[in-house]
Amino acid sequence: MATRPLGVEAAPVSLGLRRPGAWTVLARFCRKKPLGAIGGVLMVVMFLTAVFANQLATHDPIATDAGQSLARPGPDHWLGSDHLGRDIYSRVVHGARVSLVVGLASTLLGSVFGGIIGLLSGYVGGKTDLITQRVMDILQGLPLLVLALVMSAALGPSIPNVVLAISIPIIPRAARVIRASVLSIREMQYVEAARAVGLRHVRIAFRHVLPNTMGPFIVLCTAQLGSAILVEAALSFLGLGVPEPYPSWGRMLSVSAAEYAQKAPWLVLFPGLAISLAVFGSNLLGDALRDTLDPRLRGA
Amino acid sequence: MRRSRIVAAALSALALLAVAASPSSAETPKSGGHLNLMQREDLSQGFAVHETSTIATSFPSLPCFNNLIVFDQTKRAETVENLVGELAEKWSWQDNYRNLVFFLRKNVKWHDGQPFTSKDVKFTFDMLREAPDAPAKLRINPRKDWYTNVEAIEAADPYTVVFRLKRPQPGLLVMLASGYTPIYAAHVNPAAYRTGCIGTGPFKMKEWRKGEFVDYVKNPDYFMKGRPYLDSLRYVVIKERGTRTAALQAGQLDVSFPGETTKTAAEQLKKAVPGLVITPVAQAVSDNIIMNTKKPPFDNLKVRLAVSYAIDRKALISAVHQGGAVPGASQQPKPYGVWGLLDKDLIALPGYGKVEDMKAQARKLLAEAGITPQHPLKVEMSTRAIAMYVDLASFVINELKQVGIEASLKQVETAQWHPMATRGEYQIGANLTGLGVDEPDANYYENYACGSPRNYSQYCSEEVMKLIEQQSQELNPQKRLALVSTLQKKVEADAARPLLDWRLDYFTVWPHVKGMVPHDNIYNFGRMADVWRDK
Amino acid sequence: MKTYIAQRLGIGLLTLLGMSIVIFGMLRLAPGDIVDILFSTGGYVNPVERLAIEKELGLDRPVWVQYVEWMRQILTGDLGKSYRYDLPAWEIIRPLIPVTLELAILSLIVSVALGVPLGVISAVRQDTPLDYVLRVFSLAGLSMPSFWLGMVIILGLVAWIGWIPPVTYVRPSENFWLHAVQFALPSLAVGYRSSALIMRITRSSLLEVMREDYIRTARAKGQSGSVVIWRHALQNAILPVVTVIGIEFAFLIGGLVVTETVFNLPGLARFLVEAILWRDYPIVQNLVMFIAIVVIVSNLVVDMLYGFLDPRVRYGH
Repeated sequence: MATRPLGVEAAPVSLGLRRPGAWTVLARFCRKKPLGAIGGVLMVVMFLTAVFANQLATHDPIATDAGQSLARPGPDHWLGSDHLGRDIYSRVVHGARVSLVVGLASTLLGSVFGGIIGLLSGYVGGKTDLITQRVMDILQGLPLLVLALVMSAALGPSIPNVVLAISIPIIPRAARVIRASVLSIREMQYVEAARAVGLRHVRIAFRHVLPNTMGPFIVLCTAQLGSAILVEAALSFLGLGVPEPYPSWGRMLSVSAAEYAQKAPWLVLFPGLAISLAVFGSNLLGDALRDTLDPRLRGA
Repeated sequence: MRRSRIVAAALSALALLAVAASPSSAETPKSGGHLNLMQREDLSQGFAVHETSTIATSFPSLPCFNNLIVFDQTKRAETVENLVGELAEKWSWQDNYRNLVFFLRKNVKWHDGQPFTSKDVKFTFDMLREAPDAPAKLRINPRKDWYTNVEAIEAADPYTVVFRLKRPQPGLLVMLASGYTPIYAAHVNPAAYRTGCIGTGPFKMKEWRKGEFVDYVKNPDYFMKGRPYLDSLRYVVIKERGTRTAALQAGQLDVSFPGETTKTAAEQLKKAVPGLVITPVAQAVSDNIIMNTKKPPFDNLKVRLAVSYAIDRKALISAVHQGGAVPGASQQPKPYGVWGLLDKDLIALPGYGKVEDMKAQARKLLAEAGITPQHPLKVEMSTRAIAMYVDLASFVINELKQVGIEASLKQVETAQWHPMATRGEYQIGANLTGLGVDEPDANYYENYACGSPRNYSQYCSEEVMKLIEQQSQELNPQKRLALVSTLQKKVEADAARPLLDWRLDYFTVWPHVKGMVPHDNIYNFGRMADVWRDK
Repeated sequence: MKTYIAQRLGIGLLTLLGMSIVIFGMLRLAPGDIVDILFSTGGYVNPVERLAIEKELGLDRPVWVQYVEWMRQILTGDLGKSYRYDLPAWEIIRPLIPVTLELAILSLIVSVALGVPLGVISAVRQDTPLDYVLRVFSLAGLSMPSFWLGMVIILGLVAWIGWIPPVTYVRPSENFWLHAVQFALPSLAVGYRSSALIMRITRSSLLEVMREDYIRTARAKGQSGSVVIWRHALQNAILPVVTVIGIEFAFLIGGLVVTETVFNLPGLARFLVEAILWRDYPIVQNLVMFIAIVVIVSNLVVDMLYGFLDPRVRYGH
């Protein structure tokens, strides 16, 4: 494997070099990485939709209306309605809230937890590292969806449980990325210098090493966010994810949608599009961030 | 004068002869061919019908078995008049409905060549009623309660069986015609039915590829000469609903699964393939609300009644089933079932009148119980994590909200549902109940009798128990009907398990499938001996 | 070399042991067991009968005893009996393996056939509109839920041409062309998704390599552009790609679950979900271990391949 240390081109935070203003950075990012900018816009739209769901929705997402069963998209129901007469547009909008909450919570939970494990494991090294790595291997050996499935079955369908179920497979992946980053930084000169000066390990770990793993960490989060949203959708589709009455994009696609899809294709089209756009945006943004923050990390 | 009379007589005789000679149906059945039937999930416990209560096992097992008697597979209505003998040639009640005698068919062979005798019948029913000297035991016995009134079963000679009852019970006869009452072989370990099938039926089980299909081949030694018409059957397992419907539409399946085709799906199918034959029938499956009568708040009759009043039955049928259901009380309504209440009695029940009046009545009852918009009632509604159940629950929650009951939905996984319901670990639930046969004894003992494990509401009323026992022994049909009507009204008035509606199935077959007549009960048709292919 | 393999196998075994404990524990954590489900198909619950069945299946023994028994069975090659089907687990699992294996391999082939060329084109035409289009196309595949894609395909087919791929599994021996048709669509659907990562890695590693000095030297020496790319660059860019292929193989299993469900293919992944819902412990435990072994072995093979392809890397020191 290539032995070049990672993050060599990022300016070490601890040396206190002056950084350009935030807006300039943003503008430069948009110019250099238009795809990433698009991704960013998509994510912002999703975020705002989730926050302002109540204002944006036209109907109560869980209110049924027999007379409006399977209505075509039109002025009454912008994206049509499902077999129980529930407005698809409002459900998609509220579904953003569910997907975002579940996706972000599980990603952050898994990444932070995994990141800390990776940080300590990589920094301390030795036997602790070896054992931790084996434990991470164990968790990672199981495919994401299968692990989440078993956990979901184990814990039962509820939002906190789904978040937990999705976050656990993220832990080993986060740990591995952060650990790799830490391993390279650890050998760098300014860290050795800090050690020579006599700073305590903990201080070095958190004040010097950690900030420089931020790059890979952000990249990891955006990448995992997309996958977390997809896993939540798949779990809900299989009936093991977010339960009623919270509208979940994945669950909107299961059973009833497939059955009525020929009469009302909008049942299947819009929730699926919503999922795809959200994950797409997160992937685009993640890619662009990775290219910017950590060019060397492109390959991993 | 005499000549014209002779001519007239001769002409009418000729006419009669012509009518008698021509077949009653327009076509003559052809022999041969294969059919693909739908199976909505893999068989739960193989062909062990006596150990399960699900159509997923009973429907694909029907071709393998025979009953003593069944409901005519070529007629839709399940009535006493339509009973035909399979393994029994003749039967009769004796001693004022105290003894039921069956004269069995001779020269019937099991699929492994062994002869069928009364021993097999005695074996099956002694096992089912858990007789103290029964030679075998079922691991799970859901319909033990059907046979509590059986004192003994006598097999005096190889072709006669007598059911001796403790007291008269006219209803026992139809219970033996259900798809849930096949005859097992006495020389086969009951556990073996979980992996294979040895029956006397029109088809022999050739192969069960787990999760894929069940293959049947014609039984050349079937006791009905000339039957079955078909050479082979395949029950194709497809779990994904969309894929299932698409397969039927694309012609990869010839027959739909009983109970799986909603009105909207049928309309879609008909539009895509106008030639499909769609027959709306009742399923004998009802939507109902179970409430834990042993704990507050549903130990209060007023609160329970309020729930029943709050749910607009017509709106439910429209919203949840798009019109593919009918209103009824605890017995399947006419014309689908024989015990249904008269229309005038039905609309007098809670939830059938004008919407505003019903909701107002609900609010009034709740107010009397101390629940007002300022002090709303917060409950948890449990339901199984299956779309059918969840749709029902979502609608009901919405209805309850309008009268001041805030219900949150809790989805319970299949494995948890029955233990939860049986142990009373819930407040209110949205439930579906299937009746194996349109017989009050099968219904009330199971679902409303004190202490019955499937009486999820844990409802216990002495008055109702008396009524149940009374109607069970009533020999006069009119009197019995009157008793059952009273029973239905009383049970709705106690609102322990308000009945919401009875589901319809839009049973779909391709036009080349002939002779497959759905019944108003999803559990009792599908023997497949009279079905043939026209192509 | 030998010590390296031995080391890796040893670590692999330890990992498997740990995984066995994790999966065993999590399954027992899940509320409800096979007995609950059996009763639920019967529609009632009876505590006395419950105990009898628990005893028959050995579920009344202490948890650690059950674990030890499971380990002992594996070591003697006995995979136990399925709780649901009352048949030896191996007998039930065996016919499923070729289906999933074929689907996985076909999907992998599609993903490589799609990902590598697209990645090369994208790298060579970096930052041009073509590059953007290809990257968007590739990323779209990664973003779509696989079950949605499958559902849309099937529903679209039946709506437009009234035909869908066979819903019963057709063996290659029964009807080769029908079998090919049956597997074509799901492989394409899954392969499209997997191709995204491969395309991305191919592109980035090729870009990295193209900047290398020796490439510039070769160019300066006058070798034609495409020769340079295909001979030097690709050769070195292959390594990370091979690694990713190994990783993707493991990820595939997750994606196969929904694909097998929607296309009604009787494979391991779909069966695993069923078994989890039925709390069929012997099946779930052994299947998960099987998948884990496949993943570990494939990782090992990939790493070995890596060492073989790149003479700069050596093991065992």
